[in-house]
Amino acid sequence: MEATIQQTDVATDNETLVRAEGVEKTYSSVLPFTRSVPVLSGADLEIRRGEIVGIVGANGAGKSTLMNVLVGVLDHDGGTVERSGTVGWCPQETLLYDRLTVSETFRLFGSGYGMSPEEIKDAKRRLAEELDFEQYLDYRIDQLSGGNRQKVNLGVALMHDPDVLMLDEPYTGFDWETYLQFWDLAKDLAADGTAVVMISHLIEERSRLDRIYEVRDGNVYDVTEEGAEKEQSREGAPDA
Amino acid sequence: MRRFAVGVQSNVRTFLRTPLNAILAIVLPLVVIEGWGQAMAGLPSMPTVEAIPIDLGRLLGGIFGVAIIAGLMGLVQMIDARDADQRLVRTGYPPHVLLATRLATLATVTVVVAAVNYAVLRLTIEPDASVAAFAFLALAGLVYAFIGALVGAVMPRLFEGSLVVVFLAMMDAFLSGDSPLAADVPDFVQYFPLYHPKQLLQSAVFEGTFATGDLLFVGGYILVLLAAVTAIFGWTMRTAGGWSA
Repeated sequence: MEATIQQTDVATDNETLVRAEGVEKTYSSVLPFTRSVPVLSGADLEIRRGEIVGIVGANGAGKSTLMNVLVGVLDHDGGTVERSGTVGWCPQETLLYDRLTVSETFRLFGSGYGMSPEEIKDAKRRLAEELDFEQYLDYRIDQLSGGNRQKVNLGVALMHDPDVLMLDEPYTGFDWETYLQFWDLAKDLAADGTAVVMISHLIEERSRLDRIYEVRDGNVYDVTEEGAEKEQSREGAPDA
Repeated sequence: MRRFAVGVQSNVRTFLRTPLNAILAIVLPLVVIEGWGQAMAGLPSMPTVEAIPIDLGRLLGGIFGVAIIAGLMGLVQMIDARDADQRLVRTGYPPHVLLATRLATLATVTVVVAAVNYAVLRLTIEPDASVAAFAFLALAGLVYAFIGALVGAVMPRLFEGSLVVVFLAMMDAFLSGDSPLAADVPDFVQYFPLYHPKQLLQSAVFEGTFATGDLLFVGGYILVLLAAVTAIFGWTMRTAGGWSA
């Protein structure tokens, strides 16, 4: 099956921002005596404007693979991925330049997004305040704690006000206060029409998500209702 | 243009904030130039070479010193931030601009490293053509800087890549040099990266002249390396659809 990606600059469809159909991905190598690992074998999903979508699944199920294919940092073997509008990507690992300061990091990535120096400055100020890393703007990335590094990682994904925000376990290392701030931010973004997609492991978060996709056996299942039922049964269960 | 300027600033800052780079660039020339000189001091003079062995050794040490530092820096520039580079390219930063910022930084650093090596060399040798000698030392560095970048683009592993660059530079400097220990070397040695830069440097230092053919060969070598690095870097940074900004 042929793999295709379509990207349009402007979100023309008011509802669907990302659509994946029959996505297939197998990790293989040209080297002899290496094993091929099939991960996705026909994944379908849709991401709509203003939704907060969770991608769940067991370890090794292919959640990050799916997200990387949706973002476009990983080639897929078959199926189609259509994206509309701008994308912000917050990878699980903080893919930043260790020896640049936070301000320099924003300047470099902002220039990549095509933002003007004023826009970069505004975005940096706004996000530093919202995510609470104002005091670290002159710190080098390799001098930040894991949690603060993750805040900058998230800030870089958000600085150009993307239409779709893809987050791979974005709150790793966050303290409780920042975790709550993150969810407030996600809700505000969704209210403004941004689609927020995140890989999540925490069952407690299900109630915060508008839609839940589970990656299982190479396919993607919409388990939103299932999640709601589980949530209800947990709430209704007598205390141990 | 703004992206290029921001990229170069970022690269230079990253380089300067890695103290080991500066230490290597200053200490290595002293050790290598005098080390090669003393290593060759005890060898007999060759009938076809006018220079005395100790000076020839220092010259080879100088060219090796530039090559090895520039090569390793080229390697590190390509490997160190590969993942972050891929993220940056996905934001819309053009890969060819990113590569241009890397190579511009690399070329600047190589000229500085060549200047340090030349200054150390000048302590013991008075070149007949000073400017040409410095320029050919810098050219040798550029060749190896781009070889390092090529190795880093093909093999993004620091340990394995370093071994390749170090062994290649050692073998190259040794076989390309006029030394009794490397007599009767096969003809293909003239295609080694340092062979022609060494010929140019040796002529400029000891005779005050240089052969245009050697210079053209080095220029061609650099162009081929640039084309290879550009192609491989572009391939590794290719976007699957890209993002609009």
